[in-house]
Amino acid sequence: MYQYNEVDQALVDQRVEQFRDQTRRFLAGELPEDEFLALRLMNGLYVQRHAPMLRVAGPYGMYNSEQLRKLAHIARTYDRGYGHFTTRTNIQFNWPELAQVPDILAELASVQMHAIQTSGNCIRNTTTDQFAGVIADEIEDPRPYCEIIRQWSSLHPEFAYLPRKFKIAISAGPNDRAATQVHDIGLHIVRNDAGEVGFEVLVGGGLGRTPVIGQQIRPFLQKEDLLSYLEAIIRVYNLNGRRDNKYKARIKILVQAMGIDAFRELVDAEWEQIRDTDLKLPLSEIERVKAFFKPFDYDTSAAADTSLEQHLAEDNDFRVWFERNTVEHKVPGYRITYVCLKPYLKPAGDITAEQLDLVADLADRYSFGEVRATHNQNLVLADVKQSELYAVWQILAANNLARPNIGTLTDMTVCPGGDFCALANAKTLGIADQINMKFENMDYVHDLGEIKLNMSGCINACSHHHVGHIGILGVDKKGEDWYQITLGGDDGSEAALGKVIGKSVAADDVADTLEKVLQVYVDQRIEGERFIDTFRRIGIEPFKEHVYAVAN
Amino acid sequence: MPLLINNEVVADNWTLIDAETLDQSGDVIVPLALYLEHRAQFDARESGVALQLNGDDDLSSILSEVDQFPLIAIDFPAFRDGRGFSIARLLKRQGYRGQLRATGDFGRDQLDHLARCGFDAFQLKDEKFSPDVFKSFGEVSVRYQGAADDAKPVYLQ
Repeated sequence: MYQYNEVDQALVDQRVEQFRDQTRRFLAGELPEDEFLALRLMNGLYVQRHAPMLRVAGPYGMYNSEQLRKLAHIARTYDRGYGHFTTRTNIQFNWPELAQVPDILAELASVQMHAIQTSGNCIRNTTTDQFAGVIADEIEDPRPYCEIIRQWSSLHPEFAYLPRKFKIAISAGPNDRAATQVHDIGLHIVRNDAGEVGFEVLVGGGLGRTPVIGQQIRPFLQKEDLLSYLEAIIRVYNLNGRRDNKYKARIKILVQAMGIDAFRELVDAEWEQIRDTDLKLPLSEIERVKAFFKPFDYDTSAAADTSLEQHLAEDNDFRVWFERNTVEHKVPGYRITYVCLKPYLKPAGDITAEQLDLVADLADRYSFGEVRATHNQNLVLADVKQSELYAVWQILAANNLARPNIGTLTDMTVCPGGDFCALANAKTLGIADQINMKFENMDYVHDLGEIKLNMSGCINACSHHHVGHIGILGVDKKGEDWYQITLGGDDGSEAALGKVIGKSVAADDVADTLEKVLQVYVDQRIEGERFIDTFRRIGIEPFKEHVYAVAN
Repeated sequence: MPLLINNEVVADNWTLIDAETLDQSGDVIVPLALYLEHRAQFDARESGVALQLNGDDDLSSILSEVDQFPLIAIDFPAFRDGRGFSIARLLKRQGYRGQLRATGDFGRDQLDHLARCGFDAFQLKDEKFSPDVFKSFGEVSVRYQGAADDAKPVYLQ
């Protein structure tokens, strides 16, 4: 993965000292609250229900073992012994003291980490496929472009005070695992008819209060034009995006109001002015960054292993986990291996300091010292030899990290909700527990197959409920928590927004309602059909009828 | 309101006018709409005439002529309204070489970004000024991307 040079290190070190001084001036009453608000947000610091919340950047989901150990140390020393992985592949701490945040940032800087632009109205962490570089279906590893965008966007002097937050995602093959169609800018690495590799560019996607699927603004962009084109889009947005209403300030609203063609004209006019300037990305720079993401020195004899077959035949629990929680690697003899952060009756995405240390050790022993976070709040050891999977599984299982539910109903994406978040309208964690208890039977869950369940505690949609196959949105009705259910959303290559099934249901009825929804699927599915396939075929009506049928 | 240029507080001989004070003598800063409305009158003045722009102005009406003004002030209506940063980039790209002054609700912690976008004069509100504001320039001494100060990104240095 990318390693800091002197410039990278100086930048994060000096940003820490800058923030230390900003915090000091705020606490001394020298810095107005509204200014400190903007400054702390663009350094990842929220003020939450109980305490400040610090969000640490995991650039495009990549972490190394030394960084995980540092995060464990921070969790123990400054927090309550755990952290929480987010849908932007960052990790956040819910209990730091404001006065200690500069010290936490200094600790992070010592392992090439920071919290820069993890919040605020600026360009956020670029996300990508958790299988980048190790999956056979990608055209090119997207991570070098993520890193190039990270550097260009970090402390960009013009784009620190945009109308609203700005999120970019990159996918690199036919299967979109980065939800690119619901980002402010989605980049698809594609090959054109001439055989050149470049980017299809989408703009104006996003979730939140007004969910929108992004539209194509450019079918093919040369690599060398990446930064000039991004700069053109964001300059047009910065100058023209609405600033009178924060709920209408995202770029999706501007693109919708103007229409994609008029928006494209503005962008192209701006781009013409800057595409042949120093913003042109030299091939030498792309190659320099690519060198940090070269394939590992894989063991060519790994595929000769026969022990895996034997363990699969002998140990049913291992086989179930193998089938659900590992994925084919592009190199024979290796497997992509999930570390499941969706255990029974624990908050999705939470990880303890001990587990962070353990995953760091596993990464060092079995996966070249690196770990990735996924936008569904799990972790991935990307390069595990098949001969070592059994050992890895045993360790994961002993530490509650091997629940074989990846991609299934109980692999829920859930925000912290009303228990922690000041914005939430309703709680989420208790509902997740209720669903876990109702659907505890793994055979049943496996029979249901691939289902994305996303639950948000408010319309800001941090858990992307609009694009869950099943979405749950917490709403407040006269002080009580109620839940609105949507069906048919998807954040993959066939992105779609879920449709509301009917009136919201009471907190105690959520899991029972899901059971009715799933019964319709089980009754109506044809061989090999996933939940989402059945939904697309039969539509929402049969689900609506069954869920809201008057009991006889 | 102290005016910061080249790391010091300097005297300011410019006066911002509005429709009520059109006849103000001496060097004046004129909001774009007012300037366009009374253009002949302003162009005939012997004393200095500067423009004030803000994010709601249609820049295309004036962009090709900006170099005739010795000073352009860009107003920040709120700390978090970042349109002025992009306006500055557009003016500098157009070849504007006069004084580029930030006015309004910006703060000390934005000075360095403002300078990188091409501002060279900063009219801070009284309550936002203290002698240590100058320390904020170059607080982060390295940068990745090009801007108005230096178009070359770090890898072309």
